[in-house]
Amino acid sequence: MIEKTRKEELKTGSLGEGRISNLTFINIVMIGVLVALFIVASLIVPNFFNINTVSNLIAQQAEIIIIGIGIAYLLISGYFDMSVGGIIAMAAVLCAYFSQENRGIEGLSSGLGMSYGVAAALTVLICSIIGLINAFLVVKMNIASVIATLATMALARGVALIVARGAQRNAGLPPEFKQIGQHTFFATINVAVLIMVILVIVALIIERKTVFGRRIFLIGANSEAARLSGIKVSREVSLLYIASSILAAITGIIMASKFNAGNAAFGTGYEFDALVVTVLGGTSIFGGFGSVTCVVVGAFILGILKTSVNMLGFQPDLQLVVSGVVIIIAILAQRYAINRRSG
Amino acid sequence: MRDYVLEIKGLVKDFPGVRAVNDVSFNIERNTVHCLVGENGAGKSTLIKILTGALERTDGTILLNGQEYVSNNPGEARKKGISTLFQELNVVDQLTVEENLTLGMEDTTFGFLRKSTKIKKMVEVLKEIEPSIDPKQKVKRLSVAKKQIVEIAKAVASESNIIIMDEPTASISESEIKRLFKIIRELKRNNVTVIYISHRLDEIFEIGDYVTVMRDGKHIATKPVAEMEDRSELIRMMIGKSIVESYIPKEAEEEDILLEVRNLSNEKLKNIAFNIKKGEVVGFYGLVGAGKTELARAIFGADRYSGEVIFKGKQLGSTPAKAIEAGIALVPEERRTQGIFTILTIRSNIPVMNMKKISNGGFVDAAKEKQVAIEYIDKLKIVTSGPEKETAKLSGGNQQKLVFAKCLFADSDLLILDEPTRGIDVGAKSEIYSIVRQLAEGGKSIMFLSSELPEILNLCDRIFLLFDGEIKAELINGPDIDSRKIIHIVTGGE
Repeated sequence: MIEKTRKEELKTGSLGEGRISNLTFINIVMIGVLVALFIVASLIVPNFFNINTVSNLIAQQAEIIIIGIGIAYLLISGYFDMSVGGIIAMAAVLCAYFSQENRGIEGLSSGLGMSYGVAAALTVLICSIIGLINAFLVVKMNIASVIATLATMALARGVALIVARGAQRNAGLPPEFKQIGQHTFFATINVAVLIMVILVIVALIIERKTVFGRRIFLIGANSEAARLSGIKVSREVSLLYIASSILAAITGIIMASKFNAGNAAFGTGYEFDALVVTVLGGTSIFGGFGSVTCVVVGAFILGILKTSVNMLGFQPDLQLVVSGVVIIIAILAQRYAINRRSG
Repeated sequence: MRDYVLEIKGLVKDFPGVRAVNDVSFNIERNTVHCLVGENGAGKSTLIKILTGALERTDGTILLNGQEYVSNNPGEARKKGISTLFQELNVVDQLTVEENLTLGMEDTTFGFLRKSTKIKKMVEVLKEIEPSIDPKQKVKRLSVAKKQIVEIAKAVASESNIIIMDEPTASISESEIKRLFKIIRELKRNNVTVIYISHRLDEIFEIGDYVTVMRDGKHIATKPVAEMEDRSELIRMMIGKSIVESYIPKEAEEEDILLEVRNLSNEKLKNIAFNIKKGEVVGFYGLVGAGKTELARAIFGADRYSGEVIFKGKQLGSTPAKAIEAGIALVPEERRTQGIFTILTIRSNIPVMNMKKISNGGFVDAAKEKQVAIEYIDKLKIVTSGPEKETAKLSGGNQQKLVFAKCLFADSDLLILDEPTRGIDVGAKSEIYSIVRQLAEGGKSIMFLSSELPEILNLCDRIFLLFDGEIKAELINGPDIDSRKIIHIVTGGE
């Protein structure tokens, strides 16, 4: 029976199928780059290959990776979220303010005296309002997502500056406030790293295994076709903006804990860093292509570079130049690789 | 010997799988209005695109004023004396009339714009044609008709010998059409030849000197309009002889009405009313701009409307998601931008409209998904190396089959097919026809919208004729159906 044969061929991939997908390909390439970079750094940078450096390297990426999850999801569905840096500051300051001891006086040293758990939960809730505003502006008002979320970034940081009176809140914080950032399991691996690992795993499961994850790619690949295929595009994108703001809030709470303070300057420029590592890892800014894996790999590539430049004794300002150059090279290389493959 | 401004000899244009222009030869006499008619897909647009340089010809020669003519882009064509008034007007709304007139041919010194005599001349030409247009005005304030006039002025001022007008009356009012015709007559006197494309046959008798008929990419005839008897002779040439294949329509056995539309109106549509019964294939025939796509999208909930759309006895919700849930699927007009996800694989395209069937509690069952993909690739004979192929790499026909696969997997009771065979080769076309027949035999209802009469006559039980957003007639298909009458109605005849 000829029919059977064709089906068999399709199943076994004997028609030339069986190559890995472009996404898997890019992931492998970038993981290769990461490994190579790690080996080179270990060889040429003195004291790089040691437990403290490596664990520092991991701990330092927690924040960027957590916000990067939201950024990556939105980027895959074709949208930007530039508000996360502002939300980090807002969350850090609010969380500190809520948990500061209530001394009944006006000023930076007195807060609302809530228990830490309640303070953190309330902070997340309030920050998700920024996500809601983003969704409203982008989905309902049709404002370009970069512009809308830059505006809400300013809004969120403005709230942080008002509540922190242009400085920071660090007096009268309960002892559990610093646990997430400062309690370590091993070397500098702290609770924040654990949270990051859990979130990445959950995000990967959502991305790869669920219908919701599938819709993110469909919307990014062709939002009109998605709508005509019965996907509620507005609802999905709104959910993603809210999720992204919640992830940023969690990051803000982590940073506040690390420094035992709520500082209105926290998270400055993080939206760009998160965007850069996501794209560096292989996510397309045109939508429909990418992964949370890209965020993780991208973050570590950039982290190793920055650490190496630092440890080799160059002035810190050079870090930026190196990051810029590496990003340009990485993106050109990815495009070259994909074109070669498709060609 | 006659004085020909343009001589087309043995022109051929091939697209993958289709010969869009097949050995076309005819001449265009200087300072006349030469009309070009034919059904959609007859090859008119392709011919025009070759003239303007938007497409490269496969074979043949074109002589302009006796000289070999080649153009690689519309700018070059204009320099050589051929300007085009596209349906989508080529004006920039944000600029003034004056700026638009010189757009693309500005005089510059070291890259800086220079006020020149050119502008003055352009403005004078415009004043002559239509004094009421203020050259300092922003173009966005002008009506479509006046925008056209700005473009005509631009063409005249840049000393074009030939102005091609592609459906210039499609979106302007009666009185504006009169004014346009006056301008066209004026142009003839001023040493301009007009190539006039229109679906409205009455216009051809009013303004045309010559008419060239095309059909299936071939040149059928070129005749002086004065020698034509009437519309029906033109229609005969457009549709040829033996297009009615013996299709015996199904007697609607059961009076089981699936879809009932009453009073449906929106910006494009006027008071549409019809019904579709179970297992019936209902055709909607009309030319481009008649409102077919708008009708399909309104029923599917993709566009707003007023009126009632009753499906299975209940008013249908107003989003595509609700339509799909109720049991309707749409094969949209533009497959690449509306139908498929080109950067994703075949596997992830197929189940999109019915993810429930391949998932458990929100988790995708990957094995089932792959099995479904293989099943539909096999069922619809999609040519591919396997389910993981990117859909962008499939041919047009295979992409269209993929859109069908998506809709079939949704397992709907009503399929709305909007121009389902546009731009695909003959083989894929006939495969799609047989899918439609199978579906109808299996009890599904089909709403088939097309601007190709043969396929409508081939497939449909009942046919509605659309013109200008309205249903003009309802016909029962059968061997004695009068295709001339159909063309008469859809081209605006009473």
